[in-house]
Amino acid sequence: MIRRSLLVAVLASALLTPLGAYAQTALPKVKLFTTGGTIQSKGAHRQKLMEYSDGRVTPQELLDDLPELKDLAEISTMEVANVGSGNIAAEQLLTLAREINAWLARPEATGAVVTHGTATLEETAYFLNLTVHSQKPVVMVGAMRPFTAVSRDGPMNLYNAVRVAVAPQSRGMGVLIMLNDEINAARDTTKTNTYRVETFVARDLGPLGFADSDRIAYYRRPLYRHTYRSEFNVDQLSTLPRVDVAYTYQEADGAAIDAFVTAGAKGIVLTGGGGDAVKAAQNKGVLIVNSDRKGAGRVVESEKVAASGRITSDNLPPHKARILLRLALTKTQDPKQIQRMFNEY
Amino acid sequence: MNTEISFAACRAGKASQLPRHRLLRVLLLSAGPLLAGVATAQEIPRYAPPPPMPAANARLPTVVLMSMGGTIASRGAPRLNITNYGGKDYPRVDPQDWVNDLPEIRGIANIVLEDQRAPQERASSETHEDFARVARRLNELARDPKIDGIVVTHGTNTMAETAYYMNLVVKTDKPIVFVGSQRPWTGLSGDGPRNLYDAVRVAASPQSRGKGVLHAMNQFINPARDVNKSSAYRVQTFRGIDVGAIGFVDPDKVVFYREPVRRHTSGSEFAGNDYQSLPRVEVAYAYRDAPGYLIDAMVANGARGIVVEGTGAGSPTSDQTEAIKRAQAKGVVVVATARTEGGRVQDTPRRREARIVPGDNLVPEKARILLQLALTKTQDLGEVKRIFDEY
Repeated sequence: MIRRSLLVAVLASALLTPLGAYAQTALPKVKLFTTGGTIQSKGAHRQKLMEYSDGRVTPQELLDDLPELKDLAEISTMEVANVGSGNIAAEQLLTLAREINAWLARPEATGAVVTHGTATLEETAYFLNLTVHSQKPVVMVGAMRPFTAVSRDGPMNLYNAVRVAVAPQSRGMGVLIMLNDEINAARDTTKTNTYRVETFVARDLGPLGFADSDRIAYYRRPLYRHTYRSEFNVDQLSTLPRVDVAYTYQEADGAAIDAFVTAGAKGIVLTGGGGDAVKAAQNKGVLIVNSDRKGAGRVVESEKVAASGRITSDNLPPHKARILLRLALTKTQDPKQIQRMFNEY
Repeated sequence: MNTEISFAACRAGKASQLPRHRLLRVLLLSAGPLLAGVATAQEIPRYAPPPPMPAANARLPTVVLMSMGGTIASRGAPRLNITNYGGKDYPRVDPQDWVNDLPEIRGIANIVLEDQRAPQERASSETHEDFARVARRLNELARDPKIDGIVVTHGTNTMAETAYYMNLVVKTDKPIVFVGSQRPWTGLSGDGPRNLYDAVRVAASPQSRGKGVLHAMNQFINPARDVNKSSAYRVQTFRGIDVGAIGFVDPDKVVFYREPVRRHTSGSEFAGNDYQSLPRVEVAYAYRDAPGYLIDAMVANGARGIVVEGTGAGSPTSDQTEAIKRAQAKGVVVVATARTEGGRVQDTPRRREARIVPGDNLVPEKARILLQLALTKTQDLGEVKRIFDEY
């Protein structure tokens, strides 16, 4: 009987905690870095789910829209950009990495949340996964439906992103992607659907955990190197080497590869094949990475590929292999060294 | 046309290469189905046995290949028969047969064979006695400094349950890899040999240490807790419904991308114990109008715990809810899981009021195993909930 009433008391206090107790104690400090995207876009009317370009949402509007965040964290903001993710370039990536590193280096900082358009969110997430040097959580968030839409997903995604950013279990997991209640790893996750809310999927490996109503639950920890175990440092960089992706299809010839080399590419990611144009590019010192267009499974290492001087991309899709190759080229031109990096990151 | 003739010809060709005792066995094997009126003779892919085992190679890791049987240890005929194999007419594949048929595994490990099959007459209905015996043996092998890893073959139907049980009760950081096959050892395009070879590679790999009991089939490596059989006959059947694979057995290497964060093996509070028997726990399935009397019957038959496989987010029907209250009044502990399979059953105020422990995202048959072990330690609901949160 005593045991039962004790249990009731424990359960009751646990239930009251999220609303009651947080307000009195010092709240964790989170900085919201905003870059734009659908989560910060307005449409002409609330049924408009595409071509919504009728205004941008400011960081302050995001916070005002979601007063429940005040119970979770003390949130400061920094606007890095307010654009669709197609317009994110090296300049914004380098700024983001530097600013997040500066914020997380402060002892009072608990974590960072980054808003981003979903189209290239996974690229920025992977870039930050390789260039932020901290165990503190960095959580990328976006939305599939604009700020003005019926049943928009943005507010719950943002609320959950802040929950994940302040959860102690999120430390050391690398950069995370938070949409649709699922916590995904930056390296392994890709956008798989043009409009549905369950778009971010790690096809080979699945999510790391979930942001459910009762708690943040993790099941997996990533093993490839990231964040605090990364060797890449972009503090002193103002630009990144040019790397392009050449898509492979029946009758694809070397025209694109030749053009990329002419345009100054230092590296080219292939989805297979390539022919004579590859050898010509290699003769000019261009590094070649073999990726694949299937979206799942590894490109395996082989003596034959290594002998041809090419690098295999493990299970990175071409657009992420491009990011790793760009960073690799800031440190070395040696294919063996770069292959090691593809095996470790 | 006449498949019978071609099978027979094929068998004759093979038989001429076999030593006498094997020839005799093949003939005996063939006699069974013929007498039973089976239309075709069988082809058994047996080869002349390779030379005797070489002296243990000091450079290679030592891996125990333990048989708990399964489709991977079954024969059938003809080779197109991949659904109705085994039984008394077809002798099982002995552990030595695997090594004879797949001599390549000696190139990756020193293989130590071990037979832990249940007797043939109850091969497909193993009992806790079998699991307790194997758990005891796995704990012994784990303590043996000469052993680097262990492969356990098992029938695929309940393999995920056995693997999860071992994940909770074997105290070790050494790799324990469960493997099976969807097609019998004799089946056309049988997946058994590839799976077995790959499982030995995983067990021999130092990277596999400390990741709990693993499951390796069809080139995927999954942790025991999250893996479930999802297709009756396809070779891609084992997957984690909520969370995916943690690595792959690819042609170039064994590669891991993730490690499980829930407690297991050396980190398990249940590990190293010898559980000769476990409290009775049953599973009650929920569907429209599901009655409560099945739950009453479970309690009347001695159940100390009930796992409800609820609808949606884990809800029993109202009749089941009344039966749950009657059960709880007798001290029975109730855990909720969801028949959706994907998604966690959450901790909610209503569920707390009903004193039902949320089963997280465990499938009911695994929640049952965890509840059985939990009940060996406690009846306290808070403590049972902690166990479901951590494992």
